[in-house]
Amino acid sequence: MGEYRTQMKIIGDILSTTQDDLQDENGATVTYLIRKANISHSRISTILKTLVSQGLLERGDSQGSNRYKISQSGREFLQAYKSFTKFADNFGLNI
Amino acid sequence: MEFLLENILNLVGFLVGLAIGIMAYIGFRNTGSPTLFRLTIAFFSISLGFFVIWSGYMIEDFVIKSGAIERGIQTVGIVIQTVGYFFIAFSHSIKSFFPKSNYFRSVGILPFFLVSTVQLEHIFRSISFILLVYGAIETILSYRDNKNKGAISVAIGLALLAFGEFLGWYSFVFPESMLYSISMAIKIGGLIALFIPVSKIPLKRIKFDDDLDKI
Repeated sequence: MGEYRTQMKIIGDILSTTQDDLQDENGATVTYLIRKANISHSRISTILKTLVSQGLLERGDSQGSNRYKISQSGREFLQAYKSFTKFADNFGLNI
Repeated sequence: MEFLLENILNLVGFLVGLAIGIMAYIGFRNTGSPTLFRLTIAFFSISLGFFVIWSGYMIEDFVIKSGAIERGIQTVGIVIQTVGYFFIAFSHSIKSFFPKSNYFRSVGILPFFLVSTVQLEHIFRSISFILLVYGAIETILSYRDNKNKGAISVAIGLALLAFGEFLGWYSFVFPESMLYSISMAIKIGGLIALFIPVSKIPLKRIKFDDDLDKI
């Protein structure tokens, strides 16, 4: 049985992929993010829209497809996310 | 000796609870995580509970000078702490503690109107004990999944608080013994064990960003 992931964990996975695991410098495609974050297309579309509107991701257009890159706010959020994941881990909890 | 230990315990409890609560609050502000929100309420409650009892001792010592803390204040402090322990346990999905039927829910609160503050203190000490044991067990079980050594320290801290709570309750049977002082020393050790892993979390470069609240 797969591990249950909270919404926060999925967001963390998406941001981590766009920061550390990019295909090329233009950013990650939706297909690549779906594969890396292991999430359905409909769900990732909503999450990506929210992340872009919150300024955590930047959307670009390259070779006819949308590409996503992490923004400065996204990097700060990801850093906070990683620190507080460790904090919650100490209590045996997931953020 | 008992008075000094009681003061140290309540001050350490107040400061440790406040420090962890602030950390959890910063985490909640930065990530919007409901888990961190529950931990914020938990540790602010624990901190406030210790502060209320400490204030009770200070008022007694410098104003009333009756030789014993007002029972009602002690009970209020313990109740507030119990709320904090509840939220720690609740974060581990503690749902089975609530009776499902509305009848039992309504009757469940009735005994609190029928007992004195001394009995209330015993009731809340035992509830705290159960919640702390539950929290300690769940935390140590989580170590199997994440192998985070900090979880061991937190579990030991919660277990020591539970054991201290038990000895504190049991000392009513032997009021002249050292049990109550030992229970306070154990609880101080528990609070320190709780704080050790949390103090290692690097927070220097994290800043508040209001735009992140909505996510």
